[in-house]
Amino acid sequence: MNFDFSLVVRSFPLLLVGAGVTLQITAVSVSVGMLIGVVVGIARLSKTWIIKALAAVYVDFIRGTPLLVQIFLIYFALPMVLGTRIDPFIAAITACSINSGAYVAEIFRGGIQSIDKGQMEAGRSLGLTWAQTMRHIILPQAFKRIIPPLGNEFIAMLKDSSLVSVIGFEELTRSGQLIIARTYGSFEIWMSVAVIYLAMTFTISRLVDYLERRYKIDDKH
Amino acid sequence: MISIKNIHKKFGKLHVLKGIDLHIAEREVVVIIGPSGSGKSTLLRCINFLEEPTEGEIVVDGIALDCEANVNKVRIEVGMVFQRFNLFPHKTVLENVILAPMQVRKLSKSEAEKVALDLLDKVGLGDKPHAYPEQLSGGQQQRVAIARALAMRPKVMLFDEPTSALDPEMVNEVLDVMKELAHEGMTMAIVTHEMGFAREVGDRVIFIDEGRIIEQGTPEQIFTAAQEQRTQAFLSKIL
Repeated sequence: MNFDFSLVVRSFPLLLVGAGVTLQITAVSVSVGMLIGVVVGIARLSKTWIIKALAAVYVDFIRGTPLLVQIFLIYFALPMVLGTRIDPFIAAITACSINSGAYVAEIFRGGIQSIDKGQMEAGRSLGLTWAQTMRHIILPQAFKRIIPPLGNEFIAMLKDSSLVSVIGFEELTRSGQLIIARTYGSFEIWMSVAVIYLAMTFTISRLVDYLERRYKIDDKH
Repeated sequence: MISIKNIHKKFGKLHVLKGIDLHIAEREVVVIIGPSGSGKSTLLRCINFLEEPTEGEIVVDGIALDCEANVNKVRIEVGMVFQRFNLFPHKTVLENVILAPMQVRKLSKSEAEKVALDLLDKVGLGDKPHAYPEQLSGGQQQRVAIARALAMRPKVMLFDEPTSALDPEMVNEVLDVMKELAHEGMTMAIVTHEMGFAREVGDRVIFIDEGRIIEQGTPEQIFTAAQEQRTQAFLSKIL
């Protein structure tokens, strides 16, 4: 078979636009996921059983169901309840954020639990409230430790975001599909799409390695 | 200053404190001794509610520890020094000391730093404000921890085996700081195995075993003329 290199070159700008959208949706979802995650992660450690239980239900539900089904729930099922259509972009971001939140919550929970409990005691014995101790003492230390798993979550989300192509949201995978529909260049385009994903995940994982090393050195001060 | 009435503490089935009554007067230095597992650390940790007693009442400086708000009030007035220092590793020495005064006492940064630098001078670490805990020896870290607690201007200081995690050559530098505090009239409750120190600095020595106060008195009475057999047995093992 012939590899049509010129098709790759011609399609590349469009694919890059799609890749930009993929990065965007990933960045927004993981950022919102981190906000959800820090709250839910702490809630998982709450002494109040109802808060703990609600957080556990959320995490279990999200981690126990496929992201694809979650996307369908939000894009197709939720509008039937709301009585109004949801924009694919909003649906995609919402689904991915809620999904990411559950995974990030577990990462935060682990990070917080890994901090020596003497740190909380020292903070509380000085008269700091629980929240002040969390904010100034526990979370800054936990955050350094969870950079690697957060990086992994970012990479996983970047790849999983390809699923939102099914609701017609035009990110990298969907851009590829659309180009193939016009040009029939399946092989060239899917190879290009794969290479672009790889370039993004590779770059991010190097970036995370760098951050991890830098913070390790910081820690040693 | 501190009034403890009939404190019990159970960890599940383990009955650690079995009815302790203890009053500590202002400016008094009370040293708590006893075998490991006797409940002495638990008793100390009950005073600022790091352990919540299963029953009994505690009043510190006129505030009863009976609700969350009061617990926080008491903690502001009661400083604590831990066996394993528990300095904040991500903060410099100075940042460790100024955090609570700024957050809790609402001092400005410059006020808090002034207080902190004076205290660091006092514990002999005036030249290390920008070091991180990890760069310091154990003895230095514990002195920072003392300065950190003192920065809140507490009325009472609790010491939970402050020298047990230290190399022997560093024990004295920490005890010296504590002696100075005692001479200045700080109210102190100290759990320790340093009997020489207990004898020299303590106003009163309390011997605890199996969750009960077995005997108490002046250091002289306890160390030279203990009445109870268990006290004698314990002291004969360690002196």
